[in-house]
Amino acid sequence: MSSLSRWIGLLTDPTSFESYVKYVEQVEPKIGAFLQFDPRLGLRESSSEGPLKGVPFAVKDILAVKGFPLTCGSRILEGFLSPYTATAVEKLQRAGAVVVGKTNMDEFGMGSSTDTSFYKRTNNPWDLERVAGGSSGGSAAAVASGMVPFALGSDTGGSVRQPAAFCGIYGLKPTYGVVSRYGLVAYASSLDVVGICASSVEITEEVFALIRGKDERDQTSLDVGEVSDARSSSAGSGQGGGVHRIGFVSGNLGLDSGVERAYLHTQEVFRSLGYEVKPIVLSMLEYYAPVYYTIATAEASANLARYTGIRYGYRPEYAENPEELVRKARSEGFGEEVKLRILLGTYVLRSGFQDQYYQRAQRIRTAIWRDFERVFQEVDVILSPVFPTQAFKHGSEGLDPFQQKVADRFTTAANLAGIPALSFPADLAGGLPVGFQLMAPVFGEELLFQVAKRFAESVPPLKPPSYPSPWS
Amino acid sequence: MDLQELRITAALAYLDLKDEEYETLGAAVEQMLQYFSKMREVDIEGLPPTTHALVRDNRTRPDQARSFADTDSLLENAPETEDRFIVIPNIL
Repeated sequence: MSSLSRWIGLLTDPTSFESYVKYVEQVEPKIGAFLQFDPRLGLRESSSEGPLKGVPFAVKDILAVKGFPLTCGSRILEGFLSPYTATAVEKLQRAGAVVVGKTNMDEFGMGSSTDTSFYKRTNNPWDLERVAGGSSGGSAAAVASGMVPFALGSDTGGSVRQPAAFCGIYGLKPTYGVVSRYGLVAYASSLDVVGICASSVEITEEVFALIRGKDERDQTSLDVGEVSDARSSSAGSGQGGGVHRIGFVSGNLGLDSGVERAYLHTQEVFRSLGYEVKPIVLSMLEYYAPVYYTIATAEASANLARYTGIRYGYRPEYAENPEELVRKARSEGFGEEVKLRILLGTYVLRSGFQDQYYQRAQRIRTAIWRDFERVFQEVDVILSPVFPTQAFKHGSEGLDPFQQKVADRFTTAANLAGIPALSFPADLAGGLPVGFQLMAPVFGEELLFQVAKRFAESVPPLKPPSYPSPWS
Repeated sequence: MDLQELRITAALAYLDLKDEEYETLGAAVEQMLQYFSKMREVDIEGLPPTTHALVRDNRTRPDQARSFADTDSLLENAPETEDRFIVIPNIL
């Protein structure tokens, strides 16, 4: 079942509400997707009518939902209750959908495993010893285990697409600005987008249609097709028309054998569907991750300066003076990965180092989107790996934090260039899902849905065996 | 990055690092900076910087105040208050 039809009315009918809660109570202790689960609270804020009436959905704990806590997986926001609701969430509530809870994540979106969360561990529904990916790991795991048909996440460098690939579901990173960031806690403002984790392409498409659009509360938001300058028109051929040519990223990509085999197989499937499938070279590929981490940490160091322990959030037990209060709140409230990124960002922005790092990264970013413009002259969409491995194990048996950052090389490109990308479940290897991503020119989401649907007709997505959600 | 640079950077970021953090985070920062040095290979001559994904120019809006109805919900998030004031340690 690829649509939302079985989910409609689920939470507005008292009997099905109870059976839904019972299902979650049975599944959630194994998965650990939610930081808070409270569908009754969610029901109060949703419209009683609308196309998604009574449909449950989950929200990554980096998006504000009035009345719910908003922790970003960090101790520094422990106990914070959101006074307002993010635009993307509000639009879904107006359509009748119900927030059932807030999902676990890497602290402030910084990580690829959800293991940097201060609060809890989230397990992959396909293998509980493995991570669900990150940073939107809770959202992806909640969808994959059938607790919700879709969930909102955020994607700064792959944080929706990578967990989607690890959990065998769909993950959409929209064109930058097409979904309002109002109510999304900022990590790296020039890269952050609100994204969608969903169990089918159709649901992804339906949710995207509801949440997109310009918002006066986010000055960087755009309507689909809105062209404000030369830059957006140059890569903006993504509207209308069909997809004939798929370019797959070629070269020595450093993929695990299971992912490599699945990549070749996926190319074959597209060929068999009648597409012209040809190799392309992304000439800037090896620079994506260093450029991304320079820009993202620089922006993060500025965005996270607001956490002082004064107006809200974690406050240390004792401080001699206000300055000590701020230093203690930050030193005790932030985890190690966040401290690392703040230090890096502060360093690359320091006078004397800016030219070498931040300015250089911004100039290479220009070369990156120019390279995409060149490629989109040759092909309609790009097929690329999401991550070089499948879901890895928790702890020291998995990838270390540095390896995880280097592995972001495929996903960070779409954020740097502002283009849309959709991660889709393509195969199984060793009993675990493998996902790949399709990238399109700016505003080309429609092309991504079109191609992913054709693929799913031929290779339907599979569900993890132990979670017989009656509604999925 | 030497220890002195790390100390300056941590102070700018309002972070007090413990001795072991100077070691672990110092090593991690160094590893990332080495990784960043790969960017030196790229010829950036003539390339303008991209500061934002799509929007080039500043977008402005009228500077108008808006009221927020539920101010109590903001104050309730403060760790310590007294009569609608937020309490902080003495400024000496």
